[in-house]
Amino acid sequence: MKARTEMKKTNVLVIGAGVAGMEASLLLANAGMKVFLVEKDSLIGGKTIKFEEVYPNMECATCMIAPKQQEVLQNENIELHLLSELEKVQGSAGKFKATVKKKARYVSLTNCIGCGACYEPCPVSLDNEFEEGLSKRKAISIACPGALPNVPAIDPQNCLHLNGKKKDCKACQEACMFDAIDFKEKDETIDLEVCAILIATGFDMFDVTALAQSGYGKFPNVYTAMEFERLYAQNGPTEGKLVLRDDKPIKSIGIIHCVGREEQGYCSSVCCMYSVKFAHFFKHKTPEAKICQFYKDLCIPGKSHQRFYEDVHDKEVAFVHYESIKVDQEKGNLRIRYEDGNSKIDSYNADMVILSPAMIPGRETESLAKTLGISRDKRGFYSTQNEQLSPVTTEKEGIFVIGCAESPKDIPDSITQAEAAVGKILSSFQ
Amino acid sequence: MNGQIGVYVCECGPNIKDRIDIDKVLEEISSVENVKVAKRFPLLCSGDGKKFLAEEIKKEELTHLVVAACSPREHEKTFMAVCEESGLNPYLFQLVNIREHCAWMISDKDAATSRAIKYIRAGIKRVAFHEPLVKTELESNPDVLVIGGGIAGLETSLSLAGPERKVHLVEKTESLGGMARKLSQLLPQQGSKLSLVNEKVEQVKKHQHINVLTSCEVMDVRGFLGNFEVVLKSGSNGSEEREIPVGAVVVATGFSLFDPQQNSDYGYGKIDNVLTALEFEEQINSGKILLKNGKKPKSLALIHCVGRNERGYCSKVCCLYMLKFAHYLKDAFPDLEVNEFYVDLCLPHKTDQEYFDEAKKKGVRFIRTEGVKIKESKEGIEVEYSLDGKTDSARVDMAVLAPAMIPSEDTLNLARILNIPLDKTGFFKEVHEILDPVSTPIEGVYTVGCALGPKNIPESIIQSQAASGKIFSSLIPGKKIEPEIKVSIIREEFCTGCQTCLSICFYGAISFDPVKGISRVNEAICRGCGSCVGSCPSGAIRSKHYTYPQLYREVFEALR
Repeated sequence: MKARTEMKKTNVLVIGAGVAGMEASLLLANAGMKVFLVEKDSLIGGKTIKFEEVYPNMECATCMIAPKQQEVLQNENIELHLLSELEKVQGSAGKFKATVKKKARYVSLTNCIGCGACYEPCPVSLDNEFEEGLSKRKAISIACPGALPNVPAIDPQNCLHLNGKKKDCKACQEACMFDAIDFKEKDETIDLEVCAILIATGFDMFDVTALAQSGYGKFPNVYTAMEFERLYAQNGPTEGKLVLRDDKPIKSIGIIHCVGREEQGYCSSVCCMYSVKFAHFFKHKTPEAKICQFYKDLCIPGKSHQRFYEDVHDKEVAFVHYESIKVDQEKGNLRIRYEDGNSKIDSYNADMVILSPAMIPGRETESLAKTLGISRDKRGFYSTQNEQLSPVTTEKEGIFVIGCAESPKDIPDSITQAEAAVGKILSSFQ
Repeated sequence: MNGQIGVYVCECGPNIKDRIDIDKVLEEISSVENVKVAKRFPLLCSGDGKKFLAEEIKKEELTHLVVAACSPREHEKTFMAVCEESGLNPYLFQLVNIREHCAWMISDKDAATSRAIKYIRAGIKRVAFHEPLVKTELESNPDVLVIGGGIAGLETSLSLAGPERKVHLVEKTESLGGMARKLSQLLPQQGSKLSLVNEKVEQVKKHQHINVLTSCEVMDVRGFLGNFEVVLKSGSNGSEEREIPVGAVVVATGFSLFDPQQNSDYGYGKIDNVLTALEFEEQINSGKILLKNGKKPKSLALIHCVGRNERGYCSKVCCLYMLKFAHYLKDAFPDLEVNEFYVDLCLPHKTDQEYFDEAKKKGVRFIRTEGVKIKESKEGIEVEYSLDGKTDSARVDMAVLAPAMIPSEDTLNLARILNIPLDKTGFFKEVHEILDPVSTPIEGVYTVGCALGPKNIPESIIQSQAASGKIFSSLIPGKKIEPEIKVSIIREEFCTGCQTCLSICFYGAISFDPVKGISRVNEAICRGCGSCVGSCPSGAIRSKHYTYPQLYREVFEALR
């Protein structure tokens, strides 16, 4: 019984409130642990909430994880710190001392009811990062409709009152009926004592502008996969309407796999499947559109994935193996030139090109690794004790890494790793 | 009904106040039958609002409560807690969403007001039929049954067993270790096979909280999370039968391999020196790679994707273990010509690509093909391969096939015993492929490793630890279990015993009582999904809190 009483007192720090971080937090909290969930963004749910539907069963990802998000927000054993980042860690397994820097939100999570009356009067207009810049946001904003917690945050760099450019602008405060906006809120420093640390900081996408042959940034109708996910989303910038940047309909699409694979030196394991999913989206919304997938190797490793691929393949989606590829524009039309497996050069005309870029380590990985005193592998992901046998244990006892912070993977594998890290932690307490 | 219903409308600041005529709403609904009091309040979810509601419940001696405010997603729990604290059963409460459904949806104030009146009337009529529901608690047994003594079963047992939790590890063969024991060497990062599998086997055997049962099979499993009864059969002639109680079950029964004889194109069983990967592992184990005539091979073909088309899925691990062979061969016999015939290279882990690049550097030839045909030739084996309509061939001395991983032979039987479903590929099915990959529809029963589908050793280990995490979190020693409250119940007098509900129930909560000839719901297993309610042709099943009168009255008023 002694072990359990101690366990109840035990605190765990989870960094990142994406699908992996949330799963680990909930399991730990339900086991009676106290969880400090630290998230650098103003919302929870990570990248998963960007996806309208996920393969292979085409469930709505947002709806799927909304109950989990609610649970995280309501669970008494989870203390959520948004807009927060880990600043310092001392000590060792069983007795870490962590310092967390929490930025001011300027909007009260308890008073705000999420009515949105404050957005309209804000005079500032900015690119909405959550929407990959495909729509605008205000200096006070939520990422997208349905974001949780349903409470906006003020961006102090761009708010005219806070950055001092127009001190007397209090448009949002005047519009708020609930006394929820507090310009005087200050950044905080929080000290935590925890016995274990879980890193669940997710991934970023390979910067396709680095590849001249991708045409990205040069030709407006070349999109990244993330941009396209938002374009397809009902709560996205076009409310799910598939149109080009100039509002023209899409008749022909080229989807290019493995963008950045060679540069990164690994296969990201999920791109083939989501690229096939994109074809499924088009067949659903624009059934006449011509679609061609340009792939190197089809990596569809799940037991139900091949069937999904075959279903899409049967719907007259072309699949072309390429060795090298280049996107050009001629007379306003995109033209994909490629070399196939037999060294034959061919080309394909498209209205829209979608690039499926490699998943890369999150941008904060380097500094966080330094803070935590752990190393990174040669690809930049956090190193694990034994990449093959203990993929959630880092070289430092008591520090675990889960989800895409460890390596590229899909949602179920991220969830499995989260559950596994919880298994490891709770197993050590018996 | 002699109820005293209290109806409270939240202004939600201007959100409801400005868009709905609340006074008109109150006027209309205060005359509805059984409504004792109807009032408005600026913000019911605030501290003041909750205090106000609690006082009202007591002062007005309310028997039922209706709150017209926001979405249940926001504050249903808040108001249920207020009920509980005020001595009113929280299920005698109904939240009507007039903010998202009326105020924010309808710009015309009159239209929004009349819609709100309709919905609140619906809530009042519904709540009148609500019944108090009470939480129950059940004792639970923290012990776990692990089925299968391979790497996944070993890992699960080691992770879970402790002073407060015993693990019974059942293995049908005579020894622990499973498939991994047959492998020559694991991938380079994994060290030697002995250090991995044997270490775990020894740890398990020595563990004082793990009860190892070899030559033992599971005959029957009854019960539910925290309270399973397991019937085991063991002994050399299978004569010994015994029953053990456990709280959870983990299935780790592994996989089998596709038989290449099913497709004559592979020549397996007919042509000399065509081997399966597992047979080749044996040769590596013996340290000698020899042809049937005792000579050393000069060239060798590694054939990927054997049985992929037949099975309809990619087995995920074959590309990498074929690379393992290539590395081994090039290191041990640098002059040997090694050709890999692949359809797609599936190298999904971050370290895989590098491993492939190194093999290429060592001189392994990679040939992309849509399919191969293995033929006997005068000088050995001829591998015929085609791509984009072009056919070519290569002559080799030996061919090694990588067969697909398929469900192990006892999968179907075990699925029946545990009442858990299989998917289209014949492996066990996850309760939710994305959100809950190691759980089955039966709460407390988990599947891990290759029993769920093809995967490698690290992934099997991770899944084992994941199932442990789920068990640690839901089956805590000494802690009681709270089953779902809003479950289905069967009215005996209406049940005709057709058993339709038995086949519908995804969770195995319904059983048939042969004496009375009727179906019965086990309330500890039922999750209240309501599928059986809809399926019952005689209307004998009702779902607590979603009864016909409740739903009928609500819908009737809402559509009026």
